Amino acid sequence: MTTNTETNTEATTKYAPEPTPRLDWAALAPDVYKAMIRLDTAARRGLDPALHELVQIRASQINHCAFCLDMHTKDALAAGESVERIVQLSAWEESPHFYTEKELAALKLTEAVTVLTDGFVPDEVYEEAARHFEEAELAQLLATITVINAWNRFGVTCRRTPGHYRPGQHT
Amino acid sequence: MTARTTRLDDGVRSALRTLSATAKKGFGDPVLAELVQIRASQLNHCAFCLDLHLAIARGQGVDERRLDLLDAWEEAGDVFDERERAALALTEAVTVLTEGFVPDEVYEEAARHFGDTELAHLVALITVINSWNRLMAGRRIPPGSTEW
Repeated sequence: MTTNTETNTEATTKYAPEPTPRLDWAALAPDVYKAMIRLDTAARRGLDPALHELVQIRASQINHCAFCLDMHTKDALAAGESVERIVQLSAWEESPHFYTEKELAALKLTEAVTVLTDGFVPDEVYEEAARHFEEAELAQLLATITVINAWNRFGVTCRRTPGHYRPGQHT
Repeated sequence: MTARTTRLDDGVRSALRTLSATAKKGFGDPVLAELVQIRASQLNHCAFCLDLHLAIARGQGVDERRLDLLDAWEEAGDVFDERERAALALTEAVTVLTEGFVPDEVYEEAARHFGDTELAHLVALITVINSWNRLMAGRRIPPGSTEW
């Protein structure tokens, strides 16, 4: 009975229509897109891949980029990240025991660098990150936060729609 | 004031420079490009970028009054024309992403003034200055510094 009900619900559920993308910026500005890919590749070098995905997911949550969330949650899952750690990411301050101290410092820095319009990057946030990351790695972390913020801006402004990404498509 | 760090991967720096150059070239309006970059740097409180782009704008001969009033462009009457105002409204929406999305009316007003290719490069330009703002303010690079 339960199975029938579930099947019926799935068959009859009608979701809202998918939005239409505004602008195919990558096709209209191919040189810009190429530079973005180059920047992305350069920024991730030397960073732990699992941490890299967590940072990208968190920034995309703050910037409300549906397309980037679709991509990075799928890539994280495909790379073996746990559902729990992905789900808890938007409430990481209340679920620190799912993350390492180093990941928490990176998440704090991600938020400060992403929400720049509210103020500056506080000394305590930067210093906490500097305690966990050596200088070159910290520079890459900062670059990664910057680059996902850039992808978020393209994604949201041009309204790239989520749901079509296949894990590993861009790696 | 000293920088927190001047460290930045050479590949990152070089890709960002290319990104800036391609965005500016594709946009094709050097004065409006500077106004956009100054406005984003104001919103993100990036002293290094403000100092740099204000100097470039002055070098281009942009009227000092326009630079003074940029922070209040919405109230500045005809100091900025319709096309500039559309670009500045888009700059603000794309920069302050954390408070919501880019509203349809802001996007559509920009699309009325700029062709698709020009608009794609304007979005790129706003995105790139947002990137510089994050890297410069995040590392606290002092204004006028030659080491970054």
